[in-house]
Formats: sequence, structure tokens, C-alpha cells
Amino acid sequence: MHGSGEVASAGSMWLAALLFVITYGVVMSEKVNRAIVSLLAAGLMIVLGILNQEAAIRGIDFNTIGLLIGMMVIVAVTRQSGIFQFLAIWAAKKVNAQPWGILVMISLVTAVTSAFLDNVTTVLLVVPVTLLITEELKVKPYPYLFAMIFASNIGGTATLIGDPPNIMIGSATGLTFNDFAYNLSPVIVIIMAATLIPIYFIWGRYLKAAPEDRQRVMQFNEYEAITDPMLLRHCLIVIGLVIAGFIFARFLGLEAATVAMTGAALLLLLANWRHGPEEQSKHVLEAFNEVEWITIFFFVGLFIVVHGVDSTGLLRLLADKMLALTGGNLTATSMVILWSSAILSAIIDNIPFVATMIPLIKAMAPTFGGPEGLMPLWWSLSLGACLGGNGTLIGASANLVVAGFAERAGQPIRFVQYTLMAFPIMLLSIVISMIYLQMRYL
Amino acid sequence: MTARTLMRSSLVKLRTTDTVAAAAQVLLQHHLRHLPVVDEQGRYAGTFGIYSVLQLTLPTAVLMREGLDNVAFITETAHDLAQRLRERGQELVSQWLNRDPVAHPDTPAMQIVQMMLHSHTSIPVVHRDSHHLEGMISSSDVLHTLLEEHH
Repeated sequence: MHGSGEVASAGSMWLAALLFVITYGVVMSEKVNRAIVSLLAAGLMIVLGILNQEAAIRGIDFNTIGLLIGMMVIVAVTRQSGIFQFLAIWAAKKVNAQPWGILVMISLVTAVTSAFLDNVTTVLLVVPVTLLITEELKVKPYPYLFAMIFASNIGGTATLIGDPPNIMIGSATGLTFNDFAYNLSPVIVIIMAATLIPIYFIWGRYLKAAPEDRQRVMQFNEYEAITDPMLLRHCLIVIGLVIAGFIFARFLGLEAATVAMTGAALLLLLANWRHGPEEQSKHVLEAFNEVEWITIFFFVGLFIVVHGVDSTGLLRLLADKMLALTGGNLTATSMVILWSSAILSAIIDNIPFVATMIPLIKAMAPTFGGPEGLMPLWWSLSLGACLGGNGTLIGASANLVVAGFAERAGQPIRFVQYTLMAFPIMLLSIVISMIYLQMRYL
Repeated sequence: MTARTLMRSSLVKLRTTDTVAAAAQVLLQHHLRHLPVVDEQGRYAGTFGIYSVLQLTLPTAVLMREGLDNVAFITETAHDLAQRLRERGQELVSQWLNRDPVAHPDTPAMQIVQMMLHSHTSIPVVHRDSHHLEGMISSSDVLHTLLEEHH
């Protein structure tokens, strides 16, 4: 099955496996920037003869790369409009600045925004407003920040574009925005509601604020948070078009990357056409600088590394081992994927894990009656990898961003303290996912 | 010409153990924009200035790195700002120090001017080994010395 340039021998298999394990180890150690590690490993895959350059380039999923870059550019422009701050203040005022009500509303805003835009950007822009509100209400910000971490990762699980694992799964399998929304949104709504219950009993019921402090929050003018109304209109139009593009992608015969990149280009045009060439270049450069190039190059290198390992037949071998372990039973395989991806994603970066699991699951297609039979496994992988990120402070990038803010606000979130509360709540979300998968697909 | 020839040695100083409220009074009393701060052993710790005081009137969410940059939606009165400053008045200046670059007695004059243009503040002169505060150089000090030199 190996295409031109893809060499398969026992020697190359072990060499690829060794390179893969070392790459994982060094990425996990966080001693060297992850983009450097993955690009170096990708280079070695070619230099050591496991892949040639042509095959390596074939291994890169440009649909994922394009979708990520396109959405990052859209978010980079949109964040300048002040919409995130507007939503947070609007939500707080909708519940008359009641502390528990604010926690619920901010969590919902974070979850919904994270479902459609980048999680990290969402928390980066909503956390400062949340800290301001808690400061005005004289309540501890910890429960709010804790809930926001959960909301960002739970919300991100609901859609194709909400979290990188879903982008990768969607791109590799052809599952659409609608497929993700239809199959994952129902359980995500339940998980979000269920997550707020322990948060209420642990912290929520003790949150109290004086009427005069609540009045100060009620006096916030959310419309003043909008820094550029014209830009906001353009952003909302383009985001609406992009989401419509995702919804009708199959009908239009478009890939997700085309939708996102075209949307990004259109937004850049709308935001800049009034300016002169120099000003345009400055704004476009600013938007491009906001793209997380470390993540993008990490993906590029990782795709090549995983493709290298895959081309040696090692992942096929691992898939067979896993099927032998589960007796080729769909339910057992689905549960193993759900739980292992949840536990591992709480500890290690879920991106390389999902990148590895995708070809591994694809290799199971003949056992389960073709690609259609793999559906429960893809949803297990998505739910496990995305929700598992809530388990520890290092489980997802958004967690670390929130923790950084908490530290700077003088309210640090400690790793052990967080894990003791978060890990059981994360397990609760996996139990709910397990029941959902059982009832709907198995 | 070096920092030693440009600096003023007789200085009003703050101590790291001074409170923000006390430091604000000293700044107002001497009509100064900022003052050097030294520890118990006289070692230079940083500077504390009028902007350090003013920033304490703002919420933490605005002050922090990557905090709120647009505060137009917060409709607080001068009374609210004063209240926040009062609440923080007993914090120590050591918590709010500026740590801009410092010069040493042998730092050349041109480097001093360059540092000044970059930071827009007076430059503390600190002993290279003991880290004791030796003096301060303001932009007026430099201009005064240069004009004297011309004549």
C-alpha cells in the first residue's frame, strides 16, 4: 500500500517508531519548542529515508492547516472590534450582576464562542472582563476562571471548528460541520449543564455580592466596549457567511479550509479597503502576526512524522493489536478510545495523540464494515481528546492562558488544587459521553 | 564625560518598606515625578513615581499584562478611583517598583542620553558591584552640564 517514496521494511518501521517515540518524549518534556521538535523529526523522517520529500508533503493535511490559519486570521481581526468584551458585560448585566448568574452566563458565552472561534482567544479576551467584574463584586475569581476553563473546552468539542482535534478528525474523515453539530452538540449541552452542578455546590452557593457592588457592574456600558462598530458589522457578516459556508460545505462541494481562507481574505478586504496601501499592509501584517505559527508548524511537522510512521505499517500493526485486545468489539473499542484519549489528553498534548489515532482508527475500517462503521470511534476520539483537556492545568492551551491571568491577578490556580477538583468533573463528562455513545451508537 | 560627572548625589529617596500613601505624599511635597527606592542596606531597588501612584487607581484587570485595553465602558467616578487608591495606600512601594535600566558611574554620557530618550525618565546611577545608589541624572542635569560645557 506504500506509494512512491514510502519505504516499508522492518528496519524502517523500528527507525520510524524510535523517531516517533523520541519526538513524543521531547514534546512532552517541553524542554524544546514543540514546532522545532516536530519539524526536526519531520526532516529526519526524510533524511533517514523513511519518506522522500514528495511523500512527506503528501502527508501534510493542508485542509487542517488552511482551516486553522483562516480561522486564526478571522479571530485576529474580530478581536479588535471589542465583541468579546461586549458579550461578557452584556451577559453579566442580563442576570442583574448576581454572582452565580454571572458565572453561568460567562460560562455560556465562553462555551458558545469557543464552539465557533478559537478557545485561547476567547479566554484571552473574556478573562480580563471577568476579573474586572469579580473585582467590582468583591468575590473570588477562582470559581469563574475554573468554570471558564471547562466551558472553553466543552464548547470547543461541539463543532468541527471548535477544537484542533475536531478539525483534524473532520479533515481526515470528510465529516462535515453539520455532522459534528448533529452528533456532538446534544451531549455537549448536557455536559455543560452537568459541569455547572458540582461548581454550584462547591463554590456557587457561597457567592454573594453587596447591592452597591452589583450596581457598579450594572452601570457598565457594554456598547462602549465596541471599539469599531463598522469593523464589528463586517466581522459579524463574515463569521455568518463562514458558518453558513461550513453548514452548506457538502452541498457546495467545498472543503473547510476553502471556506475559512476565503472568509479570512474577505474580512481582510472589508476591514482594509478604505485604507491606503501602506496602512493596509500594516493591518494585514498585524493580522498575520496573530496567527499561531508555532502551532501551524507543529502541525506540519507532526503530519509528516505520523505519515512516516503510518507508511511503515506500524499503525496498522497497533490497530490490529488494539482490535485483538477488544476482540474486534465496537463497543469495547469505542470505550477504550474514549477513556484512553480522555486520560492521556489530560496529561499530554492532545494534538499529536489525535494525529496518531486518526490513521490507527482508519486502519480498523475493514473490521467494522467500512468507514461508516467507524463513526462511534470518531465521536469517542473527539469527546475523549477534547474533554480530557479539562482534567489538569496542562491539558489544554486555554487552561494555561487562564492560569497565567490568575497568576497576574494575584489569585494563582495551583496545579494540584485544580486537578483535585477538575479531574473528577472531567471524569463525570466522560461518563456522560460514555452513556451517550452507548445509547446513540452502540 | 561619564555618569559620575552628570549625576546629582544629594537625593530624596524612598525605602522599600515605605507605603504607597507615604510615597505619594513625598512626591507631592517635592514636586517630583519619580524617586529612587533603596532597601535597608541602601542598595538600589527600583523607582517609584507619580504614574505608579496613578495606576493604583485602576482595577487589577486593567493593570495586568494583557489586561483590558479599552476601559471606556467602566463608568466609575473620581470618588471610585480615590477609594481604590485609599484601599491600596498601605501596600508597600516595593510591590510597585519600576525597574528601568540603570547607569553605572563610568557609563558614557552618550549612552546616558540614549537611555533617557528611550525611557523618558531620569536615570539612576548604581555602583556596579555593591548596587548602592550613587545618584540620579535628570534630562535637566544633562542639558545644564552640556550648556555649561559649551560656554
